[in-house]
Amino acid sequence: MPGYVQVNSKVVQVPVAPGREVLARRGAMLAYTGQVTFRPVTAAQGISGMLGRAVAGETVKQMVAEGSGQVFYGHLGLHLTVIDLTPGESLQVEADRLLCHDASLTSSVLFLGQQGGIRGAVRGAVSGQGLFTTQLAGDGSAVVLAHGGAIGLQVTPGRVVAVDPQAYVGHRGQLSVDVTAKVGWREAVGRGSGEAIQLRVQGQGVVYVQASEQKF
Amino acid sequence: MDAPLSPVTLPVDDNINPYAFCVDLQGEWFLHKGKMIAYYGQMRFEALTVASVSALVAAHFSSPLYADDWVVATGVGKLVLGDRGFDINSYDLDDGNLTVRAANLLAFETRLELLQSIVPGFLTLLGTGKFLASSNGPVIFAEPPIRVDPEALVGWADCPSPSYHYDGHWMTQNLVGLLRGAIGIVSGEERQFDFTGAGTVLIQSSEKTMADPAALRMMEQQITALSQAEKVHLHRFLGAQLTQ
Repeated sequence: MPGYVQVNSKVVQVPVAPGREVLARRGAMLAYTGQVTFRPVTAAQGISGMLGRAVAGETVKQMVAEGSGQVFYGHLGLHLTVIDLTPGESLQVEADRLLCHDASLTSSVLFLGQQGGIRGAVRGAVSGQGLFTTQLAGDGSAVVLAHGGAIGLQVTPGRVVAVDPQAYVGHRGQLSVDVTAKVGWREAVGRGSGEAIQLRVQGQGVVYVQASEQKF
Repeated sequence: MDAPLSPVTLPVDDNINPYAFCVDLQGEWFLHKGKMIAYYGQMRFEALTVASVSALVAAHFSSPLYADDWVVATGVGKLVLGDRGFDINSYDLDDGNLTVRAANLLAFETRLELLQSIVPGFLTLLGTGKFLASSNGPVIFAEPPIRVDPEALVGWADCPSPSYHYDGHWMTQNLVGLLRGAIGIVSGEERQFDFTGAGTVLIQSSEKTMADPAALRMMEQQITALSQAEKVHLHRFLGAQLTQ
């Protein structure tokens, strides 16, 4: 199937067709050709799902592109990365880092505490993600925003990657993310290296980091 | 690290990097105020209204609304321009016309003629010559038929002026859509510019625009045409907007 085409580092061209609708951040459309309409959606199943998202803070307003044509998306001049998912794979990413994705992907809100209990919750608090994150699964593509582009780092069993919490963008595959804090007396008196808290990623998959420690 | 640049090694009418441009000045250029970052040689920067700017040159700038924001650079030398770290592109017009967002236009040769487009916030360049425009992210060139987010539009060449296209169809489709529209849930893409005909459309890589104080001044001018009752209505409307 014709996939997402990256026009330049900040713009992606996405084909839209009946049965191949695309969900995107509201207001991120730059231009389009063909007959396409944009309708606001609240990504939730029922009231409970909506409330759940509102509580979780994973409510980036979205719109769906329907019809047939080619749509150009971009947001705030941020660099973007296209991630293709194969069936069975899942991508975990913050909702506000998602630019657009195929509507065929199932999106769910994940409570980080589920994954490794209190450690997961600590990780969310440290990386500034909050206690919730968005999970995309299925067959399709997603586009992720990052300062300076997202860099994919391969993780295999036995090869652990340590990541700065502020540079962490998301990950896909079977990975576990733990917080490690090496806080000694130096940190306590303000003479630390500034890298005391790290995320240790292990398992099988890819972790995405951005070339900046700036959040947005 | 590259060696430092000198008047000899500076490019001639070309980009130094994506965000800085060097003009080989031999005569006069129109320049947006405050975009000069450095120059070699003998140059003067003067407001358009200053007496020493020849009337012939000033006549090429027929937009009094924007005249305060522009200067004329006169002299010989190398002039380096930059604009808030935005990408800068140079374009050559060959007996053509191109309309560009006023906030994106950086500089142009005095051979070109500048006119104010009836689309608010846009300027039209006519004739033969070179001009510079900045954009948030690289510029994408597209051909009509295409519909563009007004914020992402940089300009257009050769094709007719755009018309509005409203994408509010979903609001009338069913009751849910109607209610959503009524309470203000919108996709943010309802208003689009529709381009038809033959030509080129320039789109920037972001919907983030640069501030254009002249657009406000243009609106102020249009308000004078309103009647007393209409002004009262506008006053109430603005009051409601401000308290939101």
